[in-house]
Amino acid sequence: MLMTPAARILAFRLLVLAAGSLPALWLAWLWASDALGVVPGEAVVHFTGRTGFTLLVATIAFSPAFRFTGWVGFMIARRQIGLWAFFWLLAHMLAWMGLDQYWDWPWIRREMVDLPYIRYGAAALLLLVPLALTSFRHTQKAMGYTAWHWLHRLIYVSAALGAVHLWVLTRADYLMATGFAVVVAALALFRVIDAVISRR
Amino acid sequence: MSRYRYPAIPESEVTPRELFRQRRRFIKAGAALGAAALAPGLLLSPAAHAWRGGLEERLAGELPSQSLAGDESLTAFRDATTYNNFYELGTRKSDPEVYAHQLRTDPWSVTIEGEVEKPGTFALEDILAGQSLEERIYRMRCVEAWSMVIPWIGFPLADLLKRHGPTSRAKYVVFESILDPDNLRGQRRSIIEWPYREGLRIDEAMHPLTLLSVGMYGEVMPNQNGAPIRLVVPWKYGFKSIKSVVKIRLVEEQPSTSWIDQNPSEYGFYANVNPEVDHPRWSQARERRIGESGRRETLMFNGYADEVAELYAGMDLNKHF
Repeated sequence: MLMTPAARILAFRLLVLAAGSLPALWLAWLWASDALGVVPGEAVVHFTGRTGFTLLVATIAFSPAFRFTGWVGFMIARRQIGLWAFFWLLAHMLAWMGLDQYWDWPWIRREMVDLPYIRYGAAALLLLVPLALTSFRHTQKAMGYTAWHWLHRLIYVSAALGAVHLWVLTRADYLMATGFAVVVAALALFRVIDAVISRR
Repeated sequence: MSRYRYPAIPESEVTPRELFRQRRRFIKAGAALGAAALAPGLLLSPAAHAWRGGLEERLAGELPSQSLAGDESLTAFRDATTYNNFYELGTRKSDPEVYAHQLRTDPWSVTIEGEVEKPGTFALEDILAGQSLEERIYRMRCVEAWSMVIPWIGFPLADLLKRHGPTSRAKYVVFESILDPDNLRGQRRSIIEWPYREGLRIDEAMHPLTLLSVGMYGEVMPNQNGAPIRLVVPWKYGFKSIKSVVKIRLVEEQPSTSWIDQNPSEYGFYANVNPEVDHPRWSQARERRIGESGRRETLMFNGYADEVAELYAGMDLNKHF
């Protein structure tokens, strides 16, 4: 291997940085060049949602990736990609509120009460807030590793709610919703099996 | 090394010259017959472009025009032709425009069958011959809570139905869109049951607001908007206004539709625009008018209550959604 282990980890962290930030540049470019179609606000809501969910699934996938390869880079970059996922999903909510609902608070409240998929999405994002807040290394130490680990299993609940959110808002073409649901289910299943095996 | 010797052919097996010529003629005739049978798909055939040229000529002239969208301004042509639901060409809003070429419209014919005195399959140019055309500006409200204002060109569906003489048993009208999975990418997956099917009650079908449309914005109907001939029912959600119609069948019993089969709890037969009856998963009280920011209040029967409310007098619109 040409790179030292430290250089490989650095390269991987840069890759995660690119995965988290380049979609923002791409989106900004699409916005500036008027290439987001007839309803750009709606396109931004979809783009941020897809990007955030993909990064959330990738965050979860870093654990099995570490288990299979034994490469510590996945564990080191997990916090970083998880925070990018949170950033994109927060942007998704803000884009919906601002670009889709035009900050019309009575309507935002009404949509939250009326529409199940808005509630699932909001719940999924809300569950990620404590995870983002406790993602710092010193909080991890302060909380104790076991408690921190239990708390951060909420990411599976959040991803499941995200999959339900996408499923419920789909009108006819379930290709993408099915794809996300299958990947989330597979990752959750792996986590359970892994936990059972390692307990023996 | 002995050279290969061709086996001698007995004189009796040689085809006589005249018979050989006859066979050539037979093969040629067969090929010509085959070509004629395939003609609908060939550019050289006289049938192709038959409806388009004549229609373009008529659209270049003056047509009577009537606005039934109040003083609301027209949706931009570009928006109306790049933000479409036409799952035959893909499920993203931009897909129908991108893959518009996959819809083959030349030649086109419509089959009229069932409870009519004069059933048959008719070339589009024959349907349009002698049929007066007019422009109608209507609101178009999608079930997904967005809307447009579109200047359609067409003629009342009633004109066509009357020409074919509905029988007394004709209580409902069934419409079918084109089925062409070899060319239409969307039909290679079972997103919805193909071909797309819709239906109207006979009094809805005969209502003067109900149009068969062959153009918009003064032009021949773009493929992504349902070329060459589509239904326009302005007081119902857009999915009722079936695109690229190939079959019209008059029947006695209320038919099912593609959307009812897909999800009977969410889509009803009537699908009248109604701000008071929400879709189970989203509100129908407001709509996004494409090209505007903010939201508009959705109007009962999409603003056509004066014209159509009487069709549903006494009906529970919460039940018959």
